[in-house]
Amino acid sequence: MIGIVVVSHSPALAQAAVDLALEMVGETPPPIAIAAGAGDGIIGTDAVKVAAAIDEVASGEGVLVFMDLGSAVLSSTMATEFMTTTDEVRLTDAPFVEGLIAAIVLANAGASLDEVDREARAAMGAKQSQLADQGGAPDAVAAAAAPAAETPAMDAPAADSASADPTEVTVEVPLVNPDGLHARPASLIVQALAGVDAKLTITDVTAGKGPVSGNSLIGIMSLGAAKDHVLKFTATGGSAQEAVDTLVTMTGEGFGELAS
Amino acid sequence: MSTSTISLDQLIAWLSRFRDLVTEKQSYLTELDSAIGDADHGANMVRGMNAVVEKIGAEPATAADALLKSVGMTLVTSVGGASGPLYGTLFLRMGVNAGPVTELDAAALGAALRAGLEGVVARGKAEAGDKTMFDAIAPALDAWDVAVADGADVAAAASVALTAADKGRLATEPLVARKGRASYLGERSAGHIDPGATSSTLLFQALVDTVSS
Repeated sequence: MIGIVVVSHSPALAQAAVDLALEMVGETPPPIAIAAGAGDGIIGTDAVKVAAAIDEVASGEGVLVFMDLGSAVLSSTMATEFMTTTDEVRLTDAPFVEGLIAAIVLANAGASLDEVDREARAAMGAKQSQLADQGGAPDAVAAAAAPAAETPAMDAPAADSASADPTEVTVEVPLVNPDGLHARPASLIVQALAGVDAKLTITDVTAGKGPVSGNSLIGIMSLGAAKDHVLKFTATGGSAQEAVDTLVTMTGEGFGELAS
Repeated sequence: MSTSTISLDQLIAWLSRFRDLVTEKQSYLTELDSAIGDADHGANMVRGMNAVVEKIGAEPATAADALLKSVGMTLVTSVGGASGPLYGTLFLRMGVNAGPVTELDAAALGAALRAGLEGVVARGKAEAGDKTMFDAIAPALDAWDVAVADGADVAAAASVALTAADKGRLATEPLVARKGRASYLGERSAGHIDPGATSSTLLFQALVDTVSS
């Protein structure tokens, strides 16, 4: 798994962001290290601490570094001169909280540094599409419209164009859990598809949204699929049938959220 | 003391004097930073330079490169704010450029400072007129180089550099900040002198005080 480093002026902020993200994954999360604060309880950042954190989580598959702002960015760029690892280290401009959550889920599924970074950078997509009708500054609205469409998660081949693939499997199934496809079920889907030999997309047929990649937490969340919406799972690849069956089962069981 | 070159002891005295000046001007730096930043520049520089003076007192360096590297690393780990990596880079690059010597003439010190400034630029991506420490240091080093080309020694070069740094610092007042916390204010950052340019000017003031005394 790739390593993740969280750089913040505030140790409390970094720890809380990591704790929140860890809610989304199981008991064996990817290697995560925090580099926050400077000196004795000073709010700030320290390039030497950041370098040590990078070295701590580097295990040959690359390290993705999240930063809050200002000196966190300067200290992290400086840290790349101090670190001893030869791993590829990427400083991401992904949003701190949203990006970290998306990254931990995908990293936990064994994704590469490139894939995790791309997902993290697109992590505002879900919130932007949810809030697209809230007015706000004109720039923000324009930005909200664009990334939602450009989200890498949306890059998956459209269901129709893939119909020539003989391995393609498509199933439609209604969402039965009360809260729909929120963060936790989305995380379960990403993890269920990890390592499975299938490209799976999800479309909210009822709302006419998607398709999005089943490997993208943010993409799945950006559907905003609510209870009773019909989801269409389309998969191709050697284990397409198995992937679709797994998701149909999970969806039918309400992702474990049905009152027993 | 000789003023044609600067010795290792004088470099140490310069750093100590810089600590004294940022301490003396702490409330002024804070006042400038509270107008356009987060009001911590005075406290950060005082904390950083206190740590530096303590460190170089506890582990005396035997050459300029080791001394300046120690200064840079101490600032990186003790300042906390953006001044940590920026001033830290300035001193680290100065050290690399100066090399393992115990004395620097005006040209060598100017070259070391220039290397330090180039490091700051690489780190912070600042350009002239961005309302940063660059706006004090860059004109100071331009003046330094002209003076050295005319045969100036360290004291004379430091003197013209200080004049240019202070002029550059005061010229940041009408500028709109394009880097750092102040840039969030946009047009509202105009009308205030930049705190980073001010502490950088104190660095040249400290040098003048050290080599002219």
